[in-house]
Amino acid sequence: MSTSLDADVIIVGSGPAGVSAAFPLLEAGWRVLMVDGGQEATLSLPAGSLFDLRRTDPDQWRWMVGHQFHALRQADAVSPKLRAPTHAAVFDGFAAANRIIADDFIAAGSLAPGGLSNAWGCGVACYTHDELAAFPAPAARHMAAAYQRIATRIGISGGQDDDLSDFFGVDDWADAPTPLDPLQARLYAGYQARRPGLHARGFRLGRARVAVLTAPRPHRQPCDLSGTCLWGCARGALYAAAHDLAQLRGHPGFQYRPGFLVERVQAQGDTAVIMGRSAQGAGTLRARRILLAAGTLATTRLALQAIGHRQPVSMQSCPTAAFMLWQPRFLGRSPEAAFGLGQLSFSLALPDATQGFGSLFNPSGIPVTEFARHLPLARRYGVDLLSSLLSSCTVGNVFLPGALTQASLQLDPDDCLIARGAYSDQVAPLMAHAHRQLRASFLRLGAILIPGSFTIGRPGSDIHYAATLPMRTHPGPAQTTDLGELPGAPRVHIIDGAALPILPAKSHTLTIMANADRIARDMAVL
Amino acid sequence: MNIAVTGATGYIGNRLLRAARQAGYPVLALSRRAVAQPGVAWRAYDLADAGPLVLPADITTIIHLAADTASAAVAPEVEAHAARRLIDAARAIGADVVFVSSQTARDDAPTQYGRTKWCIERMVLEAGGWIVRPGQVYGGPAQGLFGVLCQQVHRLPVLPAFLPAPAVQPVHVDDLVQALLRYRQAPPASLLCIADPIGIGFTDFLRAIARGRTARSPLAVPVPTALVNAAAGLLGPARASRLGLGRLRSLFALPAMDTVADLQCLSLTLRPLHAGMSRSGLARRERLREGRALLSYILRDTPPPSLVRRYARAVEALRPPDAVPLLPVWALRRPARLAWLDGISGSDAAWAAELSWRLDAALMLAEATPQGARRFLGLGRPAGPCRSTLRIAWAIGADLLRRISQVALRPWLSRAVRRKAGT
Repeated sequence: MSTSLDADVIIVGSGPAGVSAAFPLLEAGWRVLMVDGGQEATLSLPAGSLFDLRRTDPDQWRWMVGHQFHALRQADAVSPKLRAPTHAAVFDGFAAANRIIADDFIAAGSLAPGGLSNAWGCGVACYTHDELAAFPAPAARHMAAAYQRIATRIGISGGQDDDLSDFFGVDDWADAPTPLDPLQARLYAGYQARRPGLHARGFRLGRARVAVLTAPRPHRQPCDLSGTCLWGCARGALYAAAHDLAQLRGHPGFQYRPGFLVERVQAQGDTAVIMGRSAQGAGTLRARRILLAAGTLATTRLALQAIGHRQPVSMQSCPTAAFMLWQPRFLGRSPEAAFGLGQLSFSLALPDATQGFGSLFNPSGIPVTEFARHLPLARRYGVDLLSSLLSSCTVGNVFLPGALTQASLQLDPDDCLIARGAYSDQVAPLMAHAHRQLRASFLRLGAILIPGSFTIGRPGSDIHYAATLPMRTHPGPAQTTDLGELPGAPRVHIIDGAALPILPAKSHTLTIMANADRIARDMAVL
Repeated sequence: MNIAVTGATGYIGNRLLRAARQAGYPVLALSRRAVAQPGVAWRAYDLADAGPLVLPADITTIIHLAADTASAAVAPEVEAHAARRLIDAARAIGADVVFVSSQTARDDAPTQYGRTKWCIERMVLEAGGWIVRPGQVYGGPAQGLFGVLCQQVHRLPVLPAFLPAPAVQPVHVDDLVQALLRYRQAPPASLLCIADPIGIGFTDFLRAIARGRTARSPLAVPVPTALVNAAAGLLGPARASRLGLGRLRSLFALPAMDTVADLQCLSLTLRPLHAGMSRSGLARRERLREGRALLSYILRDTPPPSLVRRYARAVEALRPPDAVPLLPVWALRRPARLAWLDGISGSDAAWAAELSWRLDAALMLAEATPQGARRFLGLGRPAGPCRSTLRIAWAIGADLLRRISQVALRPWLSRAVRRKAGT
């Protein structure tokens, strides 16, 4: 019978969830077939120190603006990453290919091998014991071991004993952090001296835990502070699922079909099938089980279609804001390239037992245009101002728990998925509170939160989507078991962000990966 | 992809070769005339060749552009046979076939051209290939049908305004080429219609050619289509075809194409019509002048010519055309005065939004140069807290002055803007 199967298991999507499920299944001797959108990048990443390249490369416009003026075409996109021409293949065409229609909501996803992890912020954190309490009991029990396996595999750094150690929960497996730039080093030193007062205000500061190498690994080199993080790391210091995919492809039990776009998933008797199309035409692939890891939006569409669920399902997505800090004592400092992702992170205790979370970034790796466009100054004077000011500034972001976005996904009669969403009424007062709290806390650390810089992002602009098909001990309609299995579609398992029961205000990728690893491991012993 | 292109020296073929090379795909050119370009292999090929065609086994895609477009020197059977030959050659090596057809393709098309295309389409679809039906292709060098139209518009003192007005759906040759390179985003045996979803009147299309290519705005003279049909009837098919009346008549019978879904399937956004028309010295010169002013304003220095050209290309590729130049002469002459227009409000909103887009484009492009990096990041100049404080105070002061000037000069600025906005 098994000869008529294309594999024991088909994994839809090669992002962090997909690759994390593949490893344990291959170990257990299963034949794994992975399919993805296969959209490869055509532009190579800038290699070398960002400031050297900026100073000397006459062709820098090719990766900063793009041969087809990608950055100008994406002028209204919510994040500089969506404008980076090197990431065009990561984001382009996702919604159309997966029949997702965003209605006043930012809906991003990826057709690229490795998925959105090609362009992620690399933040890693474990869910705390309390957060895992929302998981079905057998799932929660196995998460700790899964976190460890993932963290050791992808390589993370930033571990040190600080006030966020418990918040992140990854220090046992983390390498030393990248060095802090002078501005954030100063903030951190100031924090050490003023901890009690800041704790009383509900502000805690620590190193950001990130999936960035500070020690070499096979085929990947550690961070050398070249500062090109925004465009992607040519050294491979930033984790991307593409690294794991390369390793998986060396495994004899692993088959890979890039460019197979799945249109439908179905349970059929004791097998499950996916129907889709590729350059070779329409095709059907059959296996004992199907694991959906296409990203929360695409996965949810396939799942709702499989069970014929036409009512809206709710989705969580973290409300987000950005701000800028100025440290007067660094005014006049010569600018230098620095690590471009989170260096310090903070947690905020907000009213109603809400926890906020955010990170701080050195702005030298972001085009100055990104700031100049939004200044209330004429462009010429804006550039004058920023060229003197930016080297004494730090950028920050802040996230609130995903349940505070009231978003929904719904299949329309044409089987397109409509994504809608708005912030709940609590978000505005909570953000105002966070703003005040950050202003006061950073002022004590010698940094001025620049008036007018605190900007709330549009719903969905965090690109953290989760909990559309949450795992439950007793799953209801459009909910899943502890193995991510959909009651209406046996043998189809949801293993990406869609299956998470909650989305707290923290980086959730490591949890998605650990959960996928756990599901695959538990499945292998069924 | 490893692409073989028939008709590689033609209007579309030339641009396709260029785009394929830029995207890093190896290309094999199949044409009568030799192609000598780096990164392109060439093999002699004629539509009328007989015998089986053997292509290198590593070819993954055959894009079939070669066609007899005008002279009727090639019999329809020959074209059909040539297509069969290509399909067989593709099957032998497992390559895809992409056939560039025509909006006129129909089994009951008024021209032989349209009927032949329709026959070939059936063959390619049966073989699981891809069909691309372009609308009215324009832009780039004046070749192909576009070249003929350019020539006519250049020659004629007036433009014909046919009544009832036929509509064309334009597509820039470089956008069409992108569609061809993305065919794999569509399933096999797809028929892809690639053109602007909204047609424009044929006379407006000719007018755009006149304005963009010859910097003229000739008068349009009404010509009833019945007259053309009658003339064709009187002259007989052979003479009518020689005079181009046949093609004209097929234009009158052009079926509208629904292209929205196909463009979306290929994630393609077409550039606005005038982007491709702006090769005329005048429009280009105007853009370069504007770019020089905006970039000097941003950079506080003379921008390198390559940067100015890049700005012009970006605006031509992405923006609608202007009826009149966007910037007043006093701003073009003294770029510092652009500060008075930067962030201006209360005047014409559409004009202000367009200026804002172009200033942002100039900002982004200016930064992405070594010169821009030095200016934007403040590299290679003395720093220190005192100097920086002074520079910041100066920038804020200058901006304050700008705001005061904008208020003081309001009536005069509003008048200048209104004149430019054409309201």
